[in-house]
Amino acid sequence: MTVAAKPDLTEVDPDRYRPRNKTDLTVCWWIIPIFYNFFGLIFVLLARVMPPQRADRNPDQIAAFFHAHTVTIQIGFCLLMVVIGGSGIANGLVAFQMKRMSVSPVFAYAYIAALAVGALPGCLMAAFSFLTATFRPDRDPQILALLYDIGFLSFVGSLGCFTTQYLVLALAILLDKNNIFPRWMAYVTIWQIVTEVLAAPVFVVKAGPFAWNGSISFYQGTVIFVVYEVCIIYLLKKAIERQPLGERIPD
Amino acid sequence: MRLTSQTVSLWMAVVFGALLLIGFLAFPGFFPPMSPNMTADQVAAFYSNHRAMIRFSMIVFNLCGIMLIPLFMVIVYQMKRMATPSQVLAYCYLSAVASGAALFALADLFWLIAAFRPDRDPQLVMVLNDMAWIVFTAPVGMIVAQNACLAAAIYLDARPRPIFPRWVAHFSIATAVAMLPAAGAAVFRTGPLAWNGFLSFWLRIGAYSLFIVVMFFVLRSAVRRQALEEGAVG
Repeated sequence: MTVAAKPDLTEVDPDRYRPRNKTDLTVCWWIIPIFYNFFGLIFVLLARVMPPQRADRNPDQIAAFFHAHTVTIQIGFCLLMVVIGGSGIANGLVAFQMKRMSVSPVFAYAYIAALAVGALPGCLMAAFSFLTATFRPDRDPQILALLYDIGFLSFVGSLGCFTTQYLVLALAILLDKNNIFPRWMAYVTIWQIVTEVLAAPVFVVKAGPFAWNGSISFYQGTVIFVVYEVCIIYLLKKAIERQPLGERIPD
Repeated sequence: MRLTSQTVSLWMAVVFGALLLIGFLAFPGFFPPMSPNMTADQVAAFYSNHRAMIRFSMIVFNLCGIMLIPLFMVIVYQMKRMATPSQVLAYCYLSAVASGAALFALADLFWLIAAFRPDRDPQLVMVLNDMAWIVFTAPVGMIVAQNACLAAAIYLDARPRPIFPRWVAHFSIATAVAMLPAAGAAVFRTGPLAWNGFLSFWLRIGAYSLFIVVMFFVLRSAVRRQALEEGAVG
């Protein structure tokens, strides 16, 4: 008697055929520095959202701002409409590295969810309100002032999506025993939470260090954000380099 | 059950896709698409003259648009089954789908808010209408990223019988390219790039609708083959 032939698993098990290279990880990694360079070009040089315009302007001054910068705002944010998907790719790569950690995938999924939310209020909403303002700069200055406030308050004041993202990342790093990222990165990430909390007063004050263009709410937060981004981009590269080929990652 | 949930998700897309088509046909501002050159008074008159149909169509969009998400999650799951070097592209795709869907939901709200009090100052109705059209049309980047990730995963899939045939990757890229010009709708008020223009309205919506229809059939055959293979394993 012959034993019933074992079913052929070869078609079912992708791990049997998984190419032993890092093409997808490398491509995703390169998109991150490219995306953040676009981000800087758009928000700093073209749209003039960073550093933010003054919070204490009157509607006529706000109308004058939109009149003076219509073309660069349009070029910048039109470009953002195309490249914003880079943020999704950055989320996916960080989440993938978090899944390699010795913690459950809960934090990785939370990271994706928090940032998938954050892209809209924390980044795109500013672009929509500024594009709507410059679409018809002859609008009533009161309406332009409303769009200006929507733009800056959503951009500087979207706090919770990012505190959640930073918190789950910091916790994952601290709990991880696989040393995917070094522990010091958790402390850099915790600094990011502090900067988000310190930005909360932008909803209350229009001038001084805690206004949306203030030294604490904006400049301090932005300096730490740049440090954070440079660190995470560098550490992602190191993590990808050290990752063994053909590593199995539990689902 | 892994197969049933996928089949249900695909048929949900058929049902809600049909309802979305009804909503699309019912919106009085799509045939032809409203011009960005309408004056504030014309825009306000549009909302007060067509209140019932605007509300009907946008409530249908509101209820049914996000119901397509399960179809996209079947794509995520099938991407994870591919023999790619890692599963990173599936996570990137998932993230971009969630953000992209939120944009659709937001645009829909602006149309409904504009129709809520059409007796508002016409300038205010117009700013809500502008916001609705710009958010609906211009932010194509999330879809471009989704389709690029999908295409990359298909190209890298090393299974002897790939999960999706290679032409799906070319088609996915072609769809992304067809969506790109619509980013101009946030700037141009006339011509093919304006939100009522051929490229920003008809090409973008046509290409994406075709993409979803094609993906339904591609996914259905991928799920069927998964059923055969996993049935063989027992």
